[in-house]
Amino acid sequence: MNISPSEAEEALAAIQTMTQKTRHSIASGSAHISLIITGAVWLIGFTATQFLTAPLIVWIWVVTSVVGSALATYMGIRVGRRVRIASSSVTGKRIGIFWALLILFAAAIIAVAHPTDGKQITLLIILLAMIGQMGMGLLLSFSATWWTVPVAAVALVGYFLAPDWFYLWMGLLGGGTMIILGLYIRFRW
Amino acid sequence: MAELNEIIHQPVRLRIMSTLVTLEQNDEVDFIYLRDLLDVTDGNLGAHLRKLEEAGYITVNKTFVERKPRTYVSATAEGRRVFQEHVAALESILKSK
Repeated sequence: MNISPSEAEEALAAIQTMTQKTRHSIASGSAHISLIITGAVWLIGFTATQFLTAPLIVWIWVVTSVVGSALATYMGIRVGRRVRIASSSVTGKRIGIFWALLILFAAAIIAVAHPTDGKQITLLIILLAMIGQMGMGLLLSFSATWWTVPVAAVALVGYFLAPDWFYLWMGLLGGGTMIILGLYIRFRW
Repeated sequence: MAELNEIIHQPVRLRIMSTLVTLEQNDEVDFIYLRDLLDVTDGNLGAHLRKLEEAGYITVNKTFVERKPRTYVSATAEGRRVFQEHVAALESILKSK
Protein backbone atom coordinates (compact mmCIF):
# COMPACT_ATOMS: atom_id res chain seq x y z
CA MET A 1 0.00 0.00 0.00
CA ASN A 2 1.45 3.36 -1.05
CA ILE A 3 0.21 6.82 -0.19
CA SER A 4 1.51 10.32 -0.83
CA PRO A 5 3.05 12.49 1.93
CA SER A 6 0.01 14.80 1.81
CA GLU A 7 -2.31 11.81 2.38
CA ALA A 8 -0.12 10.71 5.29
CA GLU A 9 -0.30 14.21 6.72
CA GLU A 10 -4.11 14.24 6.43
CA ALA A 11 -4.35 10.83 8.12
CA LEU A 12 -2.12 11.94 11.00
CA ALA A 13 -4.16 15.12 11.41
CA ALA A 14 -7.38 13.03 11.53
CA ILE A 15 -5.84 10.79 14.21
CA GLN A 16 -4.77 13.79 16.28
CA THR A 17 -8.21 15.41 15.97
CA MET A 18 -10.00 12.24 17.09
CA THR A 19 -7.59 11.69 19.98
CA GLN A 20 -8.20 15.22 21.28
CA LYS A 21 -11.94 14.99 20.69
CA THR A 22 -12.13 11.70 22.63
CA ARG A 23 -10.04 13.00 25.54
CA HIS A 24 -12.10 16.18 25.81
CA SER A 25 -15.35 14.29 25.50
CA ILE A 26 -14.43 11.84 28.27
CA ALA A 27 -12.89 14.48 30.50
CA SER A 28 -15.78 16.89 30.18
CA GLY A 29 -18.38 14.09 30.22
CA SER A 30 -19.52 14.55 33.79
CA ALA A 31 -17.54 17.71 34.66
CA HIS A 32 -20.06 20.02 33.02
CA ILE A 33 -22.99 18.31 34.74
CA SER A 34 -21.52 18.64 38.23
CA LEU A 35 -20.44 22.23 37.48
CA ILE A 36 -23.91 23.35 36.35
CA ILE A 37 -25.67 21.59 39.24
CA THR A 38 -23.19 22.82 41.88
CA GLY A 39 -23.42 26.32 40.39
CA ALA A 40 -27.22 26.26 40.69
CA VAL A 41 -27.01 25.03 44.32
CA TRP A 42 -24.54 27.82 45.16
CA LEU A 43 -26.65 30.42 43.37
CA ILE A 44 -29.74 29.53 45.42
CA GLY A 45 -27.94 28.71 48.70
CA PHE A 46 -25.60 31.68 48.93
CA THR A 47 -28.20 34.20 47.73
CA ALA A 48 -30.56 32.89 50.42
CA THR A 49 -27.75 33.09 53.02
CA GLN A 50 -27.24 36.79 52.19
CA PHE A 51 -30.88 37.77 52.65
CA LEU A 52 -32.63 35.21 54.88
CA THR A 53 -32.22 34.09 58.49
CA ALA A 54 -30.92 30.95 60.18
CA PRO A 55 -33.46 28.10 60.21
CA LEU A 56 -34.70 28.81 56.68
CA ILE A 57 -31.16 29.07 55.29
CA VAL A 58 -30.27 25.63 56.68
CA TRP A 59 -33.35 24.07 55.06
CA ILE A 60 -32.62 25.71 51.72
CA TRP A 61 -29.02 24.40 51.78
CA VAL A 62 -30.12 20.90 52.84
CA VAL A 63 -32.87 20.63 50.20
CA THR A 64 -30.81 22.08 47.31
CA SER A 65 -27.75 19.98 48.24
CA VAL A 66 -29.74 16.74 48.48
CA VAL A 67 -31.63 17.39 45.22
CA GLY A 68 -28.40 18.53 43.50
CA SER A 69 -26.42 15.48 44.69
CA ALA A 70 -29.17 13.08 43.61
CA LEU A 71 -29.43 14.73 40.19
CA ALA A 72 -25.62 14.81 39.71
CA THR A 73 -25.35 11.13 40.71
CA TYR A 74 -28.15 10.13 38.31
CA MET A 75 -26.68 12.13 35.42
CA GLY A 76 -23.14 10.93 36.27
CA ILE A 77 -24.26 7.28 36.11
CA ARG A 78 -25.94 7.89 32.74
CA VAL A 79 -22.82 9.56 31.33
CA GLY A 80 -20.57 6.92 32.91
CA ARG A 81 -22.26 4.22 30.83
CA ARG A 82 -20.73 5.70 27.68
CA VAL A 83 -17.28 4.47 28.62
CA ARG A 84 -16.83 1.42 30.81
CA ILE A 85 -13.58 1.71 32.70
CA ALA A 86 -11.92 -1.66 33.28
CA SER A 87 -10.30 -0.45 36.50
CA SER A 88 -13.40 1.38 37.82
CA SER A 89 -13.43 -0.43 41.19
CA VAL A 90 -9.81 0.57 41.88
CA THR A 91 -10.53 4.13 40.73
CA GLY A 92 -13.67 4.30 42.88
CA LYS A 93 -11.71 3.17 45.91
CA ARG A 94 -9.04 5.80 45.25
CA ILE A 95 -11.67 8.54 44.94
CA GLY A 96 -13.31 7.42 48.19
CA ILE A 97 -10.01 7.33 50.11
CA PHE A 98 -8.96 10.69 48.67
CA TRP A 99 -12.17 12.50 49.71
CA ALA A 100 -12.29 10.79 53.12
CA LEU A 101 -8.72 11.92 53.85
CA LEU A 102 -9.39 15.41 52.52
CA ILE A 103 -12.43 15.78 54.80
CA LEU A 104 -10.28 14.71 57.78
CA PHE A 105 -7.57 17.21 56.83
CA ALA A 106 -10.22 19.91 56.27
CA ALA A 107 -11.65 19.28 59.74
CA ALA A 108 -8.14 19.51 61.21
CA ILE A 109 -7.36 22.73 59.32
CA ILE A 110 -10.65 24.35 60.42
CA ALA A 111 -10.03 23.25 64.04
CA VAL A 112 -6.52 24.76 64.00
CA ALA A 113 -7.45 27.95 62.09
CA HIS A 114 -10.48 28.37 64.34
CA PRO A 115 -12.43 30.68 61.99
CA THR A 116 -14.46 33.30 63.80
CA ASP A 117 -17.35 33.80 61.39
CA GLY A 118 -19.39 32.02 58.75
CA LYS A 119 -17.60 33.73 55.87
CA GLN A 120 -14.21 32.36 56.92
CA ILE A 121 -15.59 28.83 57.31
CA THR A 122 -17.34 29.15 53.93
CA LEU A 123 -14.19 30.33 52.16
CA LEU A 124 -12.04 27.60 53.79
CA ILE A 125 -14.53 24.93 52.71
CA ILE A 126 -14.67 26.35 49.16
CA LEU A 127 -10.86 26.44 48.87
CA LEU A 128 -10.48 22.91 50.25
CA ALA A 129 -13.22 21.63 47.91
CA MET A 130 -11.43 23.23 44.95
CA ILE A 131 -8.12 21.65 46.06
CA GLY A 132 -9.97 18.33 46.24
CA GLN A 133 -11.44 18.72 42.75
CA MET A 134 -8.03 19.62 41.37
CA GLY A 135 -6.30 16.73 43.13
CA MET A 136 -8.91 14.24 41.99
CA GLY A 137 -8.63 15.52 38.43
CA LEU A 138 -4.87 15.03 38.47
CA LEU A 139 -5.26 11.62 40.13
CA LEU A 140 -7.59 10.44 37.37
CA SER A 141 -5.73 12.25 34.57
CA PHE A 142 -8.78 14.37 33.76
CA SER A 143 -7.93 17.50 31.82
CA ALA A 144 -11.10 19.33 32.94
CA THR A 145 -9.71 20.51 36.27
CA TRP A 146 -8.74 24.04 35.27
CA TRP A 147 -12.18 25.41 36.25
CA THR A 148 -11.26 25.20 39.94
CA VAL A 149 -8.83 28.12 39.54
CA PRO A 150 -11.33 30.81 38.36
CA VAL A 151 -13.90 29.64 40.94
CA ALA A 152 -11.32 29.86 43.79
CA ALA A 153 -10.19 33.26 42.46
CA VAL A 154 -13.78 34.58 42.45
CA ALA A 155 -14.24 33.36 46.05
CA LEU A 156 -11.01 35.05 47.24
CA VAL A 157 -11.77 38.35 45.49
CA GLY A 158 -15.27 38.41 47.04
CA TYR A 159 -13.95 37.57 50.51
CA PHE A 160 -11.36 40.35 50.53
CA LEU A 161 -13.02 43.06 48.43
CA ALA A 162 -16.73 42.68 49.20
CA PRO A 163 -16.99 41.13 52.70
CA ASP A 164 -20.44 42.61 53.37
CA TRP A 165 -21.84 41.08 50.19
CA PHE A 166 -19.72 37.92 50.26
CA TYR A 167 -22.62 35.43 50.17
CA LEU A 168 -24.42 37.26 47.36
CA TRP A 169 -21.08 37.53 45.56
CA MET A 170 -20.57 33.76 45.89
CA GLY A 171 -24.12 33.09 44.77
CA LEU A 172 -24.08 35.28 41.69
CA LEU A 173 -20.41 35.20 40.68
CA GLY A 174 -19.29 31.87 42.22
CA GLY A 175 -22.42 29.94 41.23
CA GLY A 176 -22.78 31.92 38.00
CA THR A 177 -19.13 31.26 37.03
CA MET A 178 -19.67 27.52 37.57
CA ILE A 179 -22.83 27.49 35.44
CA ILE A 180 -21.14 29.47 32.64
CA LEU A 181 -18.02 27.26 32.76
CA GLY A 182 -20.23 24.16 32.70
CA LEU A 183 -22.10 25.44 29.65
CA TYR A 184 -18.79 26.40 28.02
CA ILE A 185 -17.35 22.90 28.57
CA ARG A 186 -20.55 21.32 27.25
CA PHE A 187 -20.95 23.37 24.09
CA ARG A 188 -17.64 24.98 23.19
CA TRP A 189 -14.72 23.09 24.67
CA MET B 1 10.28 -0.71 8.99
CA ALA B 2 6.65 -0.07 10.00
CA GLU B 3 4.03 -0.83 7.36
CA LEU B 4 0.76 0.83 6.46
CA ASN B 5 -2.36 -1.16 7.28
CA GLU B 6 -5.04 -1.14 4.58
CA ILE B 7 -7.87 -2.07 6.93
CA ILE B 8 -7.06 0.70 9.40
CA HIS B 9 -6.25 3.36 6.79
CA GLN B 10 -9.89 3.71 5.64
CA PRO B 11 -10.97 7.15 7.06
CA VAL B 12 -13.85 6.01 9.29
CA ARG B 13 -11.91 3.00 10.60
CA LEU B 14 -8.89 5.21 11.22
CA ARG B 15 -11.07 7.50 13.38
CA ILE B 16 -12.63 4.52 15.17
CA MET B 17 -9.21 3.11 16.04
CA SER B 18 -7.93 6.57 17.07
CA THR B 19 -10.81 6.81 19.54
CA LEU B 20 -10.42 3.29 20.91
CA VAL B 21 -6.65 3.42 21.43
CA THR B 22 -7.07 6.74 23.30
CA LEU B 23 -8.89 4.77 26.02
CA GLU B 24 -6.94 2.77 28.59
CA GLN B 25 -6.32 -0.91 27.83
CA ASN B 26 -9.56 -2.96 28.26
CA ASP B 27 -11.78 0.13 28.64
CA GLU B 28 -14.91 -0.08 26.49
CA VAL B 29 -16.91 2.57 24.68
CA ASP B 30 -20.65 2.51 24.06
CA PHE B 31 -21.79 2.10 20.42
CA ILE B 32 -24.11 5.14 20.55
CA TYR B 33 -21.45 7.33 22.13
CA LEU B 34 -18.97 6.24 19.44
CA ARG B 35 -21.53 6.89 16.68
CA ASP B 36 -22.18 10.43 17.98
CA LEU B 37 -18.48 11.14 18.48
CA LEU B 38 -17.65 10.08 14.91
CA ASP B 39 -20.82 11.61 13.45
CA VAL B 40 -21.69 8.54 11.36
CA THR B 41 -24.86 6.47 10.90
CA ASP B 42 -25.62 3.25 12.80
CA GLY B 43 -25.28 1.17 9.64
CA ASN B 44 -22.02 2.76 8.58
CA LEU B 45 -20.45 2.34 12.01
CA GLY B 46 -21.73 -1.24 12.31
CA ALA B 47 -20.18 -2.19 8.95
CA HIS B 48 -16.78 -0.73 9.85
CA LEU B 49 -16.83 -2.31 13.30
CA ARG B 50 -17.51 -5.72 11.74
CA LYS B 51 -14.51 -5.30 9.45
CA LEU B 52 -12.26 -4.36 12.36
CA GLU B 53 -13.64 -7.20 14.49
CA GLU B 54 -13.02 -9.74 11.72
CA ALA B 55 -9.43 -8.53 11.54
CA GLY B 56 -9.09 -9.05 15.31
CA TYR B 57 -8.40 -5.39 16.01
CA ILE B 58 -11.42 -4.77 18.21
CA THR B 59 -13.80 -6.76 20.40
CA VAL B 60 -17.55 -6.12 20.41
CA ASN B 61 -19.33 -6.93 23.65
CA LYS B 62 -23.14 -7.10 23.53
CA THR B 63 -24.72 -6.88 26.96
CA PHE B 64 -27.79 -5.70 28.86
CA VAL B 65 -27.85 -2.64 31.13
CA GLU B 66 -31.10 -2.28 33.07
CA ARG B 67 -32.77 -4.74 30.67
CA LYS B 68 -31.80 -2.63 27.64
CA PRO B 69 -29.37 -4.03 25.04
CA ARG B 70 -26.07 -2.20 24.82
CA THR B 71 -23.02 -2.73 22.66
CA TYR B 72 -19.55 -1.91 23.92
CA VAL B 73 -16.44 -1.77 21.78
CA SER B 74 -12.77 -1.91 22.75
CA ALA B 75 -9.43 -2.21 20.98
CA THR B 76 -7.56 -5.50 21.32
CA ALA B 77 -3.84 -5.67 22.09
CA GLU B 78 -3.28 -6.63 18.44
CA GLY B 79 -5.41 -3.66 17.32
CA ARG B 80 -3.35 -1.30 19.44
CA ARG B 81 -0.11 -2.75 18.07
CA VAL B 82 -1.08 -2.48 14.38
CA PHE B 83 -2.49 1.01 14.93
CA GLN B 84 0.81 2.19 16.45
CA GLU B 85 2.64 0.57 13.54
CA HIS B 86 0.34 2.35 11.08
CA VAL B 87 1.00 5.70 12.78
CA ALA B 88 4.75 5.04 12.67
CA ALA B 89 4.48 4.27 8.95
CA LEU B 90 2.57 7.50 8.32
CA GLU B 91 5.22 9.46 10.22
CA SER B 92 8.04 7.85 8.29
CA ILE B 93 6.36 8.83 4.99
CA LEU B 94 6.22 12.42 6.20
CA LYS B 95 9.86 12.38 7.32
CA SER B 96 11.05 11.03 3.97
CA LYS B 97 9.23 13.83 2.12
